[in-house]
Amino acid sequence: MTQETVHSAAPRKQRVLLDFLGSMNLAVTLLVMLSIASVIGTVLQQNQATQDYIIKFGPFWAEVFNSLGLFHVYGAAWFVLVLVFLLLSTSVCVTRNTPGFIKDMKQFSEKLSLKALQHQPQHTEFTSKDDLQTEQARVVKTLQAQGYKTKVHARDDGSVTVAGLKGRWNRLGYFFTHVSIVVICIGALLDSNLLLKYRELTGNLIPETRTISLKEVPQTAWLGPENTSFRGSVNVPEGQKSDVLFLPYEDGYLVQKLPFMVEVKDFRIEYYDTGMPKNYESDLVLTSPELDEPIVKTIAVNHPLYYKNYAIYQSSFGDGGSLLNLKVHPLLSPVENPIGLQTAVNKVEPLKTPIGKFNVEFNDFRLFNMVPTTEEEHAKTGKKFHNNGPSIIFKVRNEQGKAWEYENYMSPSLQENRWFYMTGVRTMNSEPFRYLFIPADAKRQKTRFFKFLALINNPVENTRIFKEAFPQSEQTDDKTYALQIRLMQQLMTLFRAKGFDGISEFINKNVPEEERQKVGDYYFGQTSFALQSLFLDVLKQEGAQPASDAEVSDFDKQWFEDALTAINTIPHYGPPMYFELESFKHIQSTGLQITKSPGKDVVYFGSAMLIIGVFFLFYVRQKRIWVNLRQAENSGDQADKAGTDITVAGKDNKPLPETETEFERLVHLLRTSSH
Amino acid sequence: MQSETLSNHYEETKSFGLRDIVWAAFVIIGSLLAWDQYGHNMDVYEDAILGAAAIGLIWLGRFWRSFQPVTVVVTLLSVLAIYTYAKHGNVITANEQAFFLKYLISSQSAIMWMNALFILAMVTYFLALYQRSEFTGKVATTMVWSAAVFGLVGMMVRWRESYIINVEYGHIPVSSLYEVFILFVVLTALIYLYYEQKYKTKTLGGFVMLVISAAVGFILWYTFDREAHVIQPLVPALKSWWMKIHVPANFIGYGTFSIAAMVGLAYLITAKVKEKNPNSGFVKRMPSLELMDDLMYKNIALGFAFFTIATVLGAMWAAEAWGGYWSWDPKETWALIVWLNYAAWLHIRMSKGWRGKPMAWWALIGLLVTTFAFLGVNMFLSGLHSYGEL
Repeated sequence: MTQETVHSAAPRKQRVLLDFLGSMNLAVTLLVMLSIASVIGTVLQQNQATQDYIIKFGPFWAEVFNSLGLFHVYGAAWFVLVLVFLLLSTSVCVTRNTPGFIKDMKQFSEKLSLKALQHQPQHTEFTSKDDLQTEQARVVKTLQAQGYKTKVHARDDGSVTVAGLKGRWNRLGYFFTHVSIVVICIGALLDSNLLLKYRELTGNLIPETRTISLKEVPQTAWLGPENTSFRGSVNVPEGQKSDVLFLPYEDGYLVQKLPFMVEVKDFRIEYYDTGMPKNYESDLVLTSPELDEPIVKTIAVNHPLYYKNYAIYQSSFGDGGSLLNLKVHPLLSPVENPIGLQTAVNKVEPLKTPIGKFNVEFNDFRLFNMVPTTEEEHAKTGKKFHNNGPSIIFKVRNEQGKAWEYENYMSPSLQENRWFYMTGVRTMNSEPFRYLFIPADAKRQKTRFFKFLALINNPVENTRIFKEAFPQSEQTDDKTYALQIRLMQQLMTLFRAKGFDGISEFINKNVPEEERQKVGDYYFGQTSFALQSLFLDVLKQEGAQPASDAEVSDFDKQWFEDALTAINTIPHYGPPMYFELESFKHIQSTGLQITKSPGKDVVYFGSAMLIIGVFFLFYVRQKRIWVNLRQAENSGDQADKAGTDITVAGKDNKPLPETETEFERLVHLLRTSSH
Repeated sequence: MQSETLSNHYEETKSFGLRDIVWAAFVIIGSLLAWDQYGHNMDVYEDAILGAAAIGLIWLGRFWRSFQPVTVVVTLLSVLAIYTYAKHGNVITANEQAFFLKYLISSQSAIMWMNALFILAMVTYFLALYQRSEFTGKVATTMVWSAAVFGLVGMMVRWRESYIINVEYGHIPVSSLYEVFILFVVLTALIYLYYEQKYKTKTLGGFVMLVISAAVGFILWYTFDREAHVIQPLVPALKSWWMKIHVPANFIGYGTFSIAAMVGLAYLITAKVKEKNPNSGFVKRMPSLELMDDLMYKNIALGFAFFTIATVLGAMWAAEAWGGYWSWDPKETWALIVWLNYAAWLHIRMSKGWRGKPMAWWALIGLLVTTFAFLGVNMFLSGLHSYGEL
């Protein structure tokens, strides 16, 4: 007795568990949980740097969210658990229902009693004049014509039931849709990084987080052919090759060794006439010991290269180490002595200068800089964008680690009908660039600007020129004259050090308030006279001989003004160096994404099953019909013409409003075929 | 007597009659001519899509007879527009010179006609409901048919115009938010018309036109405020034949979900009125609650089927363009959320047998989820799928 209860208790517990797993309530709860998790995953930006989250939510909430896995929802343990439960629930549901459904698909329930038939959702009765055999043949024919499969059952009492069944595939629909979910999940599992997670847990896989060269990456971050599924990317410069791939992993990356070598011959961007990119293409050569002939193919967005289980996609692009030929202009030097510098993008150049050591990091080179055109220009050229030409982006870092980021354009651009060389500077990534506009001379070069600048920087030359322009008059004694020349010289030094503000500052500091106005006027007058003298000297050196400023051309006057504006802002330009891009060789790199996805075909198979299943489920309706035929009770004299009593019953497994009319229609057909 | 009415009622022409032969011939010849004219721009997949579209159209025309005249009229008007452009040397400015193009069938004019007709139709449907006038109802239905025709013509002509502006720009007009909104209103209207015919009731028209008119309002704002109607070239990621099947499949889903939601709204209102006054004229005019409940189910089932197809196609396209069939991109994830939502709806209805009010509420709320997936993701979330930013 007790033993029996023990025996049956265990299965009952199992039963309860299975009932729970297979229940519709659980399934719907899981679907809703999955939806909510997905919503969180889209609203909260995923996989950002921890620092960003702290800034956004504060340290407390960032910690709370992080421990809930909200920053990596789709990889969080609880999310995977929900998926596992969904899988379990679906599997239990399928295993539990399938046997019944298969039985249901096969059986015609032809043995149902007349009473049972009369209890079906639809049923009706009528009498035919024909005898049972004729009627039976007719019914079978009619039902088959309507697409029913039939089965005839003769009962002991002489009556006959014709059972019809149609739309059995509806049940297959149930099976397909639910199994497909399991199949898709298995496919997704094949493509997941669960194995990597396991290896990380057991400690023989440590993702790399530093930006270091490939050789320095420790073996613990390398993956070989044992990794069957991955999706990573690699940047390959034109003319170079790669047989590794970088897989983003948590906060770092892993290095995947590939069994083949990809060489990038060329990368191209084509543009529409609007300036929008039209196409990105890479010419690839794939070599492998297993290949007799290398595979040569051009890939583009939407047109990947498939090789065995691997697929190579065009996913991004960047600079692949363009060669740069630069001239570094020292901005405080009293003579023009630019230094040549041969370098490349992604290189860091140490620079020793009299004002300290610097590291120059060349970050990027851009061949095109498309900017929206102004309305005037649009009216003139009809183009929405124009090209400002090549530019370099680089950082100058001093010994203390402070960095200035620059954006220097190679060609001049037109601003208010004058040509300027633009150079932008900023000290914070979040700031926009502040631009220095170097005015181009008549030959559209920077030559005159640097000549003029060096001249201002040169005290010896200054003194000579000031003396020439401002000869000693007879009234002034030697001492006063020397003082006047020295003042102009000092004003130049002040101007170069801090701009016009430097002069005002000097006055405010050294001159009593009541005299400031007067002294200020005098000093600025002298400054402007000094600068004009220097400029006239530059013009002289160029071969022009203007006797006075009245003869200076409008262009030169404008140039002088623009040059002063530029020089005035140089003190805010960071370390006093200007990097001029003389020439370049553009080398691009292509960003390839390479995947190996063994689960893909499984997922596709599951998806196909799902679609077929959905259509079976919604658009194939399982219907049953029973027609019970009985010899009509004899009413005496008409014994020879005994008719047949007919009961028709019908049932849909998913009744719809049209079920009733369809049944009536069928009965109508059965009746009209009688008589 | 009764048997006679029944037999009339049950008359269904299953056989392949003369009309079907003419119809099939029309579609086949039309497709062949299109292929002959534009086949050089098509790759092998696009050839296959054209073939499948022709077969699908033959089937659709047989399944739904009324679609045959629509197709013929749309074809004639589109060909007229293309011909007129050709007459004017295939320059886009012809849409300012040629009378027909300027006032009727250049894509912009046709779409404006469509917009106006949809809004008028909404008003007329409600008027018919209020007046209990059968005639007014017929006028409204005619307006929706005409709007759908203008919308389809607008899309066909826009397709051609994109090639006229610049061969490199040429693409099927389902690539930007503006274009898919037109696709959305046209598909929703056509699906609605099918059910209107099938269930012989025009009383739901006003409700369905509510959502269509809202979309039309968006189109108008988007046109006049943002100039979104200007034809732009495609970004490289969209240059693929997948777009031709992925987007329309998706919008059959969005369309039917919208109809289900609006029927749900009609259901809730009718049920509310019925509770207060079972004999009210409004309740009598509206279809039965059972019918509306069934209509919700039919729309959601159809939408779910096509949304499943669209999502699978989208995953396959993503695998080809982005290198992975699933990236948990916001658009993908929201498609999954929409799918899960309606999967749950169907489970509850089919397995638990829920009917009526809760399901109507759910269908209505489902539209909010769908709208967010359709619009909200573009507005608030960034990702790979950001093709129509506001």
